[in-house]
Amino acid sequence: MTEHLGDYATEMSATPGEVNPVRAFVAQLWGSIFRHGLPTTDKVAARTALTNFFLHIHPVRVKRSAIRVSYTLCLGGLSFFLFILLTITGLFLMFYYIPSVDQAYQNVKDLEFVATFGLVIRNMHRWAAHGMVITVWLHMARVFYQGAYKPPREFNWAIGTLLLLTTLLLSFSGYLLPWDQLAVWAITVGTNMAKYAPIAGPYTRYLLLGGRGVAQGALIRFYVLHVIALPLIGFLLMVVHFWRVRKDGFTGGL
Amino acid sequence: MAINPYETPRERMRTRLERTRRQFLFLMGGLAATGSLVLGGFKLLGFMFPAATNDAPLKFKTNTTTPPVTFDDLTGGVSNGKAVNGAAVRSITADRVTIVLDEAGIYAVYLICTHLGCTPNYTTTVTAGSGVSDSVAAKRGVRSASEQKPDGWACPCHGSRYFIDSTNFYGPAPRPMDWVDVQVSPDGYFVVDRGSIVAYRQPGDQTPPQWRLLVDTRKDNGKTLGV
Repeated sequence: MTEHLGDYATEMSATPGEVNPVRAFVAQLWGSIFRHGLPTTDKVAARTALTNFFLHIHPVRVKRSAIRVSYTLCLGGLSFFLFILLTITGLFLMFYYIPSVDQAYQNVKDLEFVATFGLVIRNMHRWAAHGMVITVWLHMARVFYQGAYKPPREFNWAIGTLLLLTTLLLSFSGYLLPWDQLAVWAITVGTNMAKYAPIAGPYTRYLLLGGRGVAQGALIRFYVLHVIALPLIGFLLMVVHFWRVRKDGFTGGL
Repeated sequence: MAINPYETPRERMRTRLERTRRQFLFLMGGLAATGSLVLGGFKLLGFMFPAATNDAPLKFKTNTTTPPVTFDDLTGGVSNGKAVNGAAVRSITADRVTIVLDEAGIYAVYLICTHLGCTPNYTTTVTAGSGVSDSVAAKRGVRSASEQKPDGWACPCHGSRYFIDSTNFYGPAPRPMDWVDVQVSPDGYFVVDRGSIVAYRQPGDQTPPQWRLLVDTRKDNGKTLGV
């Protein structure tokens, strides 16, 4: 595995032919992480992609037509990028935000006016959230209009619809967290819409709010959904989604 | 399964029975495990439905509200069994109740828009832009001509409008807002019980409720509607 580094351990030794133990250690360490040298040939490039966790998401070989940007418009990739961005900025926001009706609004104001770069990070989170809803919708439209939901990709289409639902629920649950007038009444309206559903409606509303109205019980529930449950569900669905994208192959061009 | 040439028919039957017995046990075990998971999971769902909540009590007294409202403040005092103020309105928006006085007595409207649950605001220009003439709104409620005005509630969320007797007349609201029980406490404040609805009207029901807290006796007349 470390053949390409074989020389490295010996060539700089004081005595030719003698192994420098430090260099041998470094070579072993390096070789244990990076199994291949620079992908200068097709063979090494293929092996690199196969053995590296971060690269294995890409297929080793694709048709040139399949990677044309104008074919997919990279909408799924953009959605994933925004998801990563939301995870990171969301993590930052969690250092200041306390899901309490007495403190939440003030925490958001602190983020905007007290925390260094807080305003930027909050706005990144907000705009990335809007953007992700847009890119996920467009991604679905792209897949639909190209007929990319057809066999063998039906299952991945189904996973995709669940991911769309997860995205919308993330957007909805995050809406309540600033605890301003817009948030409270939007969730009042939204959960009352859920109440109109037959039989399950009132239970759904009570389940979401943990009480009769939008109060502390609702805030902590939406917070837990927003920062733990839904991102985790989304992540697991994405893992399956990407795996299936790879396994179902790329057609490229109609 | 490989065929054992030395197996007698009797042994073969036993092997087959053995296999079906094992399958049966697997089936039963699987059913038991699945059943306990489903039933247990269903009961566990109860965790998300708290038996008691920390919501504000439905019954409240108007001494700590914003603003505090007293019987004398609303009525302007009582002389000859009639309120000095002909008609008056006190909105306690945070607690989602408006207490209304008219010639017949006092009633309380629970300000939950019947469309999607926002809090409609009291306004004296409730018909503005709705196509309903002011006089229609003004004649609602039991009011003398000098006290009549086109007032009621307008919801800020989707624009539903209600007359002063809480009948909806504009926007997406499907039915009138509910009236809730209001009583006078011995120290002159009101006690509003939002858990006790005294007038509930179905969609399209334009009947003005007759329920009132009477000014002279300080007792309600018991004329509930639709409850």
